Amino acid sequence: MRNAGVLWRREMAALFLSPAAYVIAAIFLLAAGGSLLLGVSQNSGRAIPPQALLFEPLCAWLTVLTATVTMRLFADEKKSGTIETLMTAPVTDTEVVVGKYAGALTFVLLCCAPVVACLYLLDFMSPGIRGLDTGAVAGGCVFVFLFSAMSVAVGEVISLTTRNQIVAAITTLFTLWILLLGGWLLAALPLGLAGIGSDLSLAAHIEAFERGVVDTRAVVLCASITAFSLFACVRLLETRRWN
Amino acid sequence: MIHVSNLTRRFGRKLAVNNISFDVQRGEVVGFLGPNGAGKTTTMRILACYLPATCGDVRVVGRDVFRDSVEVRRRIGYLPENVPLYHEMRVAEYLVFRASLKGLRGSHRRRRIDWALANCSLTEVRDRIIGNLSKGYRQRVGIADALVHDPDLLILDEPTLGLDPNQIRLIRGLIRKLARRHTILLSSHILSEVEMVCDRVLIMNKGAIAGQGTPEELSGILRGHTCVALEVRAAPDAVHPALSSVPGVLRVTAEPLTGEWTRAVCECEKGREVRASLFHAVVAAGWPMRELHEQRQSLEDVFVQVTGGAP
Repeated sequence: MRNAGVLWRREMAALFLSPAAYVIAAIFLLAAGGSLLLGVSQNSGRAIPPQALLFEPLCAWLTVLTATVTMRLFADEKKSGTIETLMTAPVTDTEVVVGKYAGALTFVLLCCAPVVACLYLLDFMSPGIRGLDTGAVAGGCVFVFLFSAMSVAVGEVISLTTRNQIVAAITTLFTLWILLLGGWLLAALPLGLAGIGSDLSLAAHIEAFERGVVDTRAVVLCASITAFSLFACVRLLETRRWN
Repeated sequence: MIHVSNLTRRFGRKLAVNNISFDVQRGEVVGFLGPNGAGKTTTMRILACYLPATCGDVRVVGRDVFRDSVEVRRRIGYLPENVPLYHEMRVAEYLVFRASLKGLRGSHRRRRIDWALANCSLTEVRDRIIGNLSKGYRQRVGIADALVHDPDLLILDEPTLGLDPNQIRLIRGLIRKLARRHTILLSSHILSEVEMVCDRVLIMNKGAIAGQGTPEELSGILRGHTCVALEVRAAPDAVHPALSSVPGVLRVTAEPLTGEWTRAVCECEKGREVRASLFHAVVAAGWPMRELHEQRQSLEDVFVQVTGGAP
């Protein structure tokens, strides 16, 4: 696993050296911050905790952020041919997958941090409103972490299946929205699957987390999708060695 | 260093490499020659552990490329065709990344990077962004990357592809310098280059090895006899009988040149040295002579003949 660290640093460098990543990060921060601002100004005077106005739009924007950050992970290397230099270096498939995953996830979490910090800025600037509930904010952060971890893993495996970054981004975005809202759709259909549907809907779980309730169903769902995606990634990379 | 036996690689129905076998000994510089699509790159990718073989036994540095892939990769340096690099990185940054991946750390890594930069004449561009460099520099960055961990074996796929003559000369000089310390397998379709740097040549065609040997051996295989050409100042009618009577000469063709000179080409028995006898015959006849040499078939002739191209 020693090389995973080297690859993590290289992924971070690739992101911070490319203007595209700064553009993506800036747009994400504007969009997520703007959504919070809009929520706060529309609900002025009502007794709604500010974190309830943050985490739902944040997760929606996160799908766009992770799709654009992960699209290049493997698709770009395949297109430019650098996958050949990478895979002929003495690295294992697992190291490559974990290194790239860690790099992309770090970037996504670094982008989320200032948005969450906006809550504290709001708290600082408006002494009139009730103080922030730290537990509830922490719950929301746990959800953002779980959701980012899952989205990046899903994005990575999709990026590995194509050499076209646009295809990777659109497929990732679509898959993430299915994961967010698919459960609701399942519950809404007259199939008698309302129970399973609401368990599988990640969007439905956000509410619990932003009240400070860490729901194990959502933890298990996110963790298992993450693990499965990373496992699939290693196996897909290995198929190169098959005939 | 490399042992390949009965290697076959298919892509779907297409047979890219068809049951080839060859060996490369430690310290050799071997050239892989062949037209485009002959299977050179596929074979090199299999040796570099990038592609698996469909069947056959491939051992590099004494290890199986499939079972012991990471160890093989640690001990070879591979330059892929077209030299894919991360264009947003700086030269030194890129080499630090590659050297770290190959397990180099600390001051040893720094020393090896400085060594590779100096040997590939890259020191003056070490802080430049790779994407802004010329193709010749990028090619050398690729070679520096292949060299940085001091591998036992270097596999270079078309190291001079798309370079200008000056850059080709530079790369060729570098390969010659490296040949003293490393075993090298390189592919090319520039024949003069292979002839100049390689001890041995493997000619591939349509997925099979069509010929192998030193450039001299390959010329010999194709020709049953050697030819000696000479130019003397005498009439063709006089030259013909005088040279035909020299022992070992099978056939003489003489044709007049300008200013009373005649060019004669003597086909001689294979392996028999007749140049001294020819010289004495000319001296005995009292003719001035301005040229006498054995005609060697160039690798280009061999290549065209073996790969069935247009004559």
